Amino acid sequence: MIRCDEVTKKFRKNGSEVTSLDRFSAEVVEGEFVAVHGPSGSGKTTLLLTLGGMQRPSAGTVQFGGRNLYALSPADRARLRSSEIGFVFQMFHLVPYLDLLGNVLLAAPGKKLGQAQRQRAAALLDELGLAKRATHRPGELSAGERQRLAVARALLNRPKLILADEPTGNLDPENAAEVIRHLAEFHRAGGTVVLVTHGSAADTQADRILRLEQGRLLAN
Amino acid sequence: MSIWSHIFREIGFRKINALFSLLGLTLAVTVVVASQLLAEADERETRRVTRDMGFNLRLIPAETDLGQFYRDGFSRHAMDSAMLDRLATHLTNNVSFNHLVGSLRREYTINGQDILLVGLSETYVVPGQGKKSMGFDIKKNTIHIGSEIARMQEKKRDDTMHVGVRQFTVANDPIETGTPDDITIFARLEDAQAVLGLAGKINEIEAIDCLCLTADQDPLAILRKEIGGILPEVQVVQKRTLADARAKQRQTREKVNQFVLPSVMVASVVWVALLAVLNVRDRRQEIGVLRALGKGGGRIAGLFLGKAALLGLAAATVGAVLGTWAVLEFGPSLFPVTKKAIQANPTLAWQLVVATPVFAAFASFIPAMLAVSHDPAETLRED
Repeated sequence: MIRCDEVTKKFRKNGSEVTSLDRFSAEVVEGEFVAVHGPSGSGKTTLLLTLGGMQRPSAGTVQFGGRNLYALSPADRARLRSSEIGFVFQMFHLVPYLDLLGNVLLAAPGKKLGQAQRQRAAALLDELGLAKRATHRPGELSAGERQRLAVARALLNRPKLILADEPTGNLDPENAAEVIRHLAEFHRAGGTVVLVTHGSAADTQADRILRLEQGRLLAN
Repeated sequence: MSIWSHIFREIGFRKINALFSLLGLTLAVTVVVASQLLAEADERETRRVTRDMGFNLRLIPAETDLGQFYRDGFSRHAMDSAMLDRLATHLTNNVSFNHLVGSLRREYTINGQDILLVGLSETYVVPGQGKKSMGFDIKKNTIHIGSEIARMQEKKRDDTMHVGVRQFTVANDPIETGTPDDITIFARLEDAQAVLGLAGKINEIEAIDCLCLTADQDPLAILRKEIGGILPEVQVVQKRTLADARAKQRQTREKVNQFVLPSVMVASVVWVALLAVLNVRDRRQEIGVLRALGKGGGRIAGLFLGKAALLGLAAATVGAVLGTWAVLEFGPSLFPVTKKAIQANPTLAWQLVVATPVFAAFASFIPAMLAVSHDPAETLRED
């Protein structure tokens, strides 16, 4: 499904060069649940953004479904993200002025919303226990509810792949387990999940665990 | 979700930012409307005052002695009335004079009373301007008489009166004016020429100078050069009193406008742009997540430009109403214009309704481009 070959990402920070990913190579097959472990600053988030077509690597290639992701035009990459990839972030990244339904529907492609999309968004909110709060704004939710809302948004377009960046990092164990349970359900239904974390909340659900340190893959 | 629904909700959420942008734009529109309405009112006022003042240019035969002219109030020399026709053929929007009237003015005696007899031609104006005639129309076989003549000759409106061998009907209600008009008979030019035995002659062409320059700018030199090129046989005399004051007022306002209007526009652009930059900063994470969700640069730019255009539209509507109201309410007490001269300008309002959203979008263009070019990965990594 997604394959990285010798992916390197370098940044300039405070005048010096920092290597965030160092010749990273790995493959995630369709339907796999992969957890990526590593300490802070090990390049986990960089890896996730690179896999999601959000950040061009300094060297190496990323293939998604057999296509070289960064050979696509920005517009084609945006379309691919919209239709095949869902993101879940540690800080939720919800839009504060939209209600819950609006936040989920933000992921809908195109300019006009269809009835099917509205029904799907409402069903997801129901599934994730947020239906009663559909007209509330994210600021009125608890951290656990916000992350469930982010999961609902990621699921709206029935993506093939969910990229989750520390989705349980700000949650208590109960809410963390709830979010992992939803990701696991998506996985059981045939979806692919790449989840980066420095904890072990998802280990029991993961098919495979990758370990990153200083941008290098230590174990596969 | 439609982009407009998205924009409306964002405005509702970040009310202060939107309110400040709206205030900046509304102030700019208000100043533009007020300034334009005052300029138009000033223009009307100047025209009215100039017209009320009467003709301020006097073209008299070149050989006239000015001492005699000022002492008697008219030239004792005469010129062909064809000169009036010649000057009238040059009346276009490109010349500095308008409203030409040929006159023949002489002393005359009726039943032992010394009077002035004045024959007036029709008024010639620049074609297509739709200007009203400044003089009064004198109908055939009628005359307008001064109050002292009416008293001495015991005449009133509709009475018949002999001037020389010809008989006329008095067409006015003689009113005392305290001017030489009280001892003047106004007749049609042809009638006065016949009475005075000066067929085809005039001794003055009266006109209005349209330059609206102050004396220190030497408008007379411009007028003399222009008129002298057409009629070298005349000398040009200009009455400068109130016209000077009006011209000064107008020039002062124009100078103020030259500074105030651009300053307000620049300040408004900077204000709106700064608020848009702050808005972009506030929304960096949102921009990042929109990118992650596959939204393109067009959609993201549209959120900022659309918001600016929407606020511009609201500001244009509010500003046009506010500017018009302010000028109608406070204009006459703050500026040298009468309430009657101030008129609302719907065309200007419509122009601003179209132009202000474009102006606001222009002010927000750079911040919008910053939003579009912002690397979403940078924001999304800042957890």
